[in-house]
Amino acid sequence: MKIPQMISEAKRGKLSRRAFTQSLLAVGIVPVMSQVAPRAASASSGHATVFTWGGYDVPEMYQPYIDKHGELPDFSIFGAPEDGLTRLRSGFVTDLIHPCMGDIPRWRRTGLFQPIDTSRLSSWPDVIEYLHDTPHNHEDADGGVWQVPFDWGQTSITYRTDLYELEGEESWDILWDERYAGRIGMLATGDDAWWCAAIKAGVPFEDIATDEAFEAISAVLREQRPLVRTYTDDTSSLNQALASGELVAAMTWNSSAVELVYEEVPVRFAQPKEGALTWVCGFMMHKDAPAPDRAYDVLDALISVPTGEFLTGDYGYGHSNGKVLDLFTDEELAALTLTRDPAELLEAGHRTIPQEPEWTSRMNTTYEQIKAGF
Amino acid sequence: MTVTSELNAPAGADKTAFAGLRRLFFQNESLRGLVLLTPTLVILSITVIVPFLLMGAMSLWTQIGFDYTDDWSFRNYGIILTEPLYTTLLLRSLGMSMAATLVTVMLAYPMAYFLAFHVQKNKLIWLIIITLPFWTSYLLRVFAWRVVLGYEGVINTGLMEIGLISEPLSFLLYSKSAVIITLAHAWAAFALLPIYVSLEKIDKSVLEASADLGEGPVMRFLRVILPLSMPGVIAGTFLMFIPTVGDYVTAALVGGPDSRMIGNLIELQFGTVDNWPMGAALAITMIISITMVGLLFMVLSRLLKRWVAA
Repeated sequence: MKIPQMISEAKRGKLSRRAFTQSLLAVGIVPVMSQVAPRAASASSGHATVFTWGGYDVPEMYQPYIDKHGELPDFSIFGAPEDGLTRLRSGFVTDLIHPCMGDIPRWRRTGLFQPIDTSRLSSWPDVIEYLHDTPHNHEDADGGVWQVPFDWGQTSITYRTDLYELEGEESWDILWDERYAGRIGMLATGDDAWWCAAIKAGVPFEDIATDEAFEAISAVLREQRPLVRTYTDDTSSLNQALASGELVAAMTWNSSAVELVYEEVPVRFAQPKEGALTWVCGFMMHKDAPAPDRAYDVLDALISVPTGEFLTGDYGYGHSNGKVLDLFTDEELAALTLTRDPAELLEAGHRTIPQEPEWTSRMNTTYEQIKAGF
Repeated sequence: MTVTSELNAPAGADKTAFAGLRRLFFQNESLRGLVLLTPTLVILSITVIVPFLLMGAMSLWTQIGFDYTDDWSFRNYGIILTEPLYTTLLLRSLGMSMAATLVTVMLAYPMAYFLAFHVQKNKLIWLIIITLPFWTSYLLRVFAWRVVLGYEGVINTGLMEIGLISEPLSFLLYSKSAVIITLAHAWAAFALLPIYVSLEKIDKSVLEASADLGEGPVMRFLRVILPLSMPGVIAGTFLMFIPTVGDYVTAALVGGPDSRMIGNLIELQFGTVDNWPMGAALAITMIISITMVGLLFMVLSRLLKRWVAA
């Protein structure tokens, strides 16, 4: 049935139910098929699949790969790496996944990953040794590594300099400030929040697995909960809420502050006196990676200098390629709250320590209880 | 030779055996029913019954680190019943879902009534207009509510523009009411359509008869229309209540810390928290409680119907 005819019949109330259903079906099938078609195509395209956070799926980060293969690799997005691991453990296969350094020993125990042969990466000699040279990363890796470091930075507080009245030095107390109850935002994953709360509670990271530490950290998070407007892993939600003034301060990574400054929102990425949470994240390769050769091309693209320039300049994260830092002046790095020597920044803050799977379950369960109000 | 066997007679020796089977098929009504149901039953058992049994089995395990213990126990259910977190979230989900269902049914009923009794021409157009929002994705509808209820949303900027408030109302978004409003809107068609169908079915001469017998409009509605449309109301209530209890997208996007629902918790168990046995136990507990509430509702509505009709 033609559309004008259908409309005129509908107007006269004569369109039969069957004709209506048929047209609905036709309308419905097209969008459904258009969803399925490109996916089916990409599955056979031979591209490597990258499992990562939202925001790491932009062409600027994969230019060498695009030059070589004509297109972006395929992506799958997680909210938090732990969520990604759960999906991999239940049978989902991607070539690369993007966890952080402290996760390596625990993730390796799942037996889902293969060591990465660094001799296949042309930019590997430029990768800052400090970032990958940890015992967990090299042991049993056949001379390679388990994780190729990519980005490093801090988890700290982004606050509105015009709306938040700072008393004294910047500190984690900003997120516990009762004057701003209902205008504080928090990250929903324990991977960040729990460790930051440990800094706030004064618990040394070496003791984080003790029962006393659990109690002390739970206590500060419970104390904070009535002040929190939203717990989310969606950084764009947090950014929008900070931009509108709905939130005056939120726990974020570097990129939130950098993006808001670009939008000329008066914010600062705090350097809390107790120290920020610092992290190094990178890519691990699945043992059954369907397109390992392309995955190496993706890795090489990720650690290339142009990618690093974009990552640092636009997102404000440190990059693992040492040559990238030479492209920025000291002032620019300071404005991005980065240092020329990653060790300086990473050692100044607190770095997560690898934990047992039991600890992770207990931590996540407890944090969920606290977020729900118990 | 009968018409049917002539039409379908296969070539070869098994002609009579086949014809016998055909006769059996056409004569035995329950066999015919079973054969017709087979595709559905196969799909249902593969996609619903088997996973459900697996989930039931899994809920009796215990997660330790990356592994499960293989001893069977009701430990997870014990935790659900004793820890206030789980019972509170379950009760809260039931409550919020009931509120959303109540709001929707109350709003949908007059609309369906209007459609069934007062719209004479172009009913299809009216139906299309009413169901138009459901042509868009569920996620888009939820996001639309974020735009409406948000801090810089339509309501807040509107109220500030006309000077009724000086600061944006922050309770609009990230609250229980936001979740209930969004659920009520997003699922409205599921309540509206069954009510409309059952109202539409009512024989208009029954209404005339009740008027002839001296009933006023209110009593006519209470004693004739409402009881006759009850099947639609009950169907609509179930269609909306059952899926919304376990909904987690809505609560995740427009809810705040105090409006998390059991669905969010179940999703976390299968995701970040990585405790699948607990997730399975929670899901089964949720199914059982929905069933209990459903049964209670059915008993109550039956009592109510009897009381109204008396």
